[in-house]
Amino acid sequence: MVTREDVENIALLSKLFIDENDLDKLTEDMQNIINFADTINKASDESEEFDNINNLENVFRNDVVKESLPVSEILSNAPEQADDHFLVRKRG
Amino acid sequence: MGLIKKYHDLLVKKEISCVELTQKYLDEINKSNGDLNAYITVTDELALENAKKVDAKIKAGEEISLLEGIPMTLKDNISTKGVETTCASKILSGYKPIYDATVYEILKSSGAVMLGKTNMDEFAMGSSSETSYFGGSKNPHNLSCCAGGSSGGGASAVGGNLAVYAIGSDTGGSIRQPASFCGVVGLKPTYGAVSRYGLIAYASSFDQIGPITKTVEDASIVFDAISKYDEKDSTSTGSNYETFNTLNDDIKGKKIGIAYEYLNGVKDEVKEAVLNASKVYESLGAEIVYFNLKELDYALPVYYILACAEASSNLGRYDGIRYGYKCEHYEGTHDMICRTRSEGFGEEVKRRILLGTYVLSAGYYDAYYKKAQNLRGSIVRAFDRAFADCDVILAPTVPMTAFKLGKAQFDPIETYLTDICTVPVNIASLPAVSVPCGIDKEGLPIGMQLIGRKFDEKTLLNIAYKYEQSTDNLKETKWGVKL
Repeated sequence: MVTREDVENIALLSKLFIDENDLDKLTEDMQNIINFADTINKASDESEEFDNINNLENVFRNDVVKESLPVSEILSNAPEQADDHFLVRKRG
Repeated sequence: MGLIKKYHDLLVKKEISCVELTQKYLDEINKSNGDLNAYITVTDELALENAKKVDAKIKAGEEISLLEGIPMTLKDNISTKGVETTCASKILSGYKPIYDATVYEILKSSGAVMLGKTNMDEFAMGSSSETSYFGGSKNPHNLSCCAGGSSGGGASAVGGNLAVYAIGSDTGGSIRQPASFCGVVGLKPTYGAVSRYGLIAYASSFDQIGPITKTVEDASIVFDAISKYDEKDSTSTGSNYETFNTLNDDIKGKKIGIAYEYLNGVKDEVKEAVLNASKVYESLGAEIVYFNLKELDYALPVYYILACAEASSNLGRYDGIRYGYKCEHYEGTHDMICRTRSEGFGEEVKRRILLGTYVLSAGYYDAYYKKAQNLRGSIVRAFDRAFADCDVILAPTVPMTAFKLGKAQFDPIETYLTDICTVPVNIASLPAVSVPCGIDKEGLPIGMQLIGRKFDEKTLLNIAYKYEQSTDNLKETKWGVKL
C-alpha cells in the first residue's frame, strides 16, 4: 500500500516538490505501478544472484595525468559563475 | 541496394554534388518538419559547410568512404560539441556539450553530414515521443498517429525522407519500436558493441546506441562504422565487427525460433504478418522451431524496476548548478535544487525518478531491486538456453501498430505493457533488429523483430537482409528524396 506520506517522503529523497493538488493522483499512479512491479514476487525465489551482464570485469588504465578541459569551457554551461567557480547564491 | 550505397555511387560518379544532396534533404526538412516535428535543432549551415568539404575531396579525385557526404541525424541525447543537446527536456534547454559523443566523433571523421538533432521522449522515457518538452513527433504514414518512441524523431525523419539515416538509442525498445511504427529498419546492437560515451544516460546497463535506416544494408553499413572499441566507455567490448560482406550469405539450414509467449496478446494482423515472414524463411530453406520462454512473463516489471532505479541515480546530476535550467526564485540550496528539478523535469520523468527511488529505498530494496536483478539473471539464462536450439528468434517488434496521438499519455501502465516484445532484449543485452513486414488495414506499417545471439550481429543482419530481399514490403517508401 503506497500512502500520501510515502510519496511525500520519496519526493523529498528525490529532491522533487510535489504540488499538493497532484499528490492524490500521483499516489494512485504510484500504487498502480507498484502493484504492477509486485508481479515479480510471484516468481519462484530460487533465482541465483546476478551481478552484471556480459560478465564484465573492471577496466583499469595507468594513472597518467592527461590534459583536462579548460575551466572556462567547463563553466560555459553554468547558469551562474564567478572567479572560475560555479556560483550558488543563498537566495535568488 | 540500400540508400547509402545508392547516394555514394551518385556522389562518386559526380551525378550529384554533396551540397545538392544535402540541400535536397534540408528542403524536405523545411517543407515537412512543421508537420512531423522530427527535428528539435536543424544545423543547416554546419551541414552545408561539411558538404562542401566532401565535394572538394571528390573534385580533387580523392577516394571517399561509404558514409562520407551522406546526410544523417543524431538523437538529441547524443552529445555534439557546440550544438544544443536537450534530451527533449526543459532542464537541458540551452545546454551545449563541450565534447562530442564517441559515435559522433566516429561519424564525423567518416565525413558524415549531420543535418540536425532529432526529437525524442524526454530523457528517452516513453513510447510515443510525446513526453518531449517540444511536443511529439508524428508518423510519416499517418499524421494523426505518433512516430513511436523514444527515438521517434529519428524514425519519423528517416521514414519521412528528412534524413538518410538516424542514430538513436535503445533502452527498452526505443530504436526498434519507432522503426516498426514508421516502416523503417532499426538495429539495437549487443550491449557493449557501440560506445555509450557522450550518450546522456537513462539506464546505463540497458542503454545502447544504434542506427535507424531505410534498409538492412544501410543498418549494416552504419553498424560496421560505429561498433568500435572505446576506452572512454568501460563497458565497450573492444572487438570490430564486419557484417556488410556477409549480408547475402545463404541461410539454408539456419534455425529460426519462435517463442509462443511473444505471440500472446498480439494484434491479429501483426501476428499474421510475423507468421507470414516465417513462411518466407521456410521457403528460403531455413527451419522454424517453436519453443517456450516463460521467463518473459516477468520481463516488463523487471525492466521498469531496474531501469527506473538506474534512472533515479543517473538523473541526480541535474541540480541547476553546473549546466541547464535553473529556477528563478529560491531560498537556500536545497530549495533551489528541488525547484529546479520540479520545474525542469516533465511528469513521466518525475514518475520514473520516484519509482526508482522507491525500489532502492531501505525496506523495499530486497523485495524489488534485488529480486528484479536476480530475475534478470533468469531471463539471461533462458535466452542462452533458447539459443542452444536456434540461430535467431523471430517475434513481433510491438504487439500493435502506431498509436493515435495522445493515447500513450492516458495510462502509464497500459503504455508500459506495449513494450513487452522489446524489453527482454535489453534485459539480456542481446542484439535485435526491427524490419518492416507488412501494412495493417489502416495503412500503418507492421514491424517484425529478429533477435540474435550476443555479438552475433553478422548472423542477425544476414537473416534480416535475406527476408528484405525476398519481399516487396514498403518498397516504394525506401528510396529517399526525389533527386
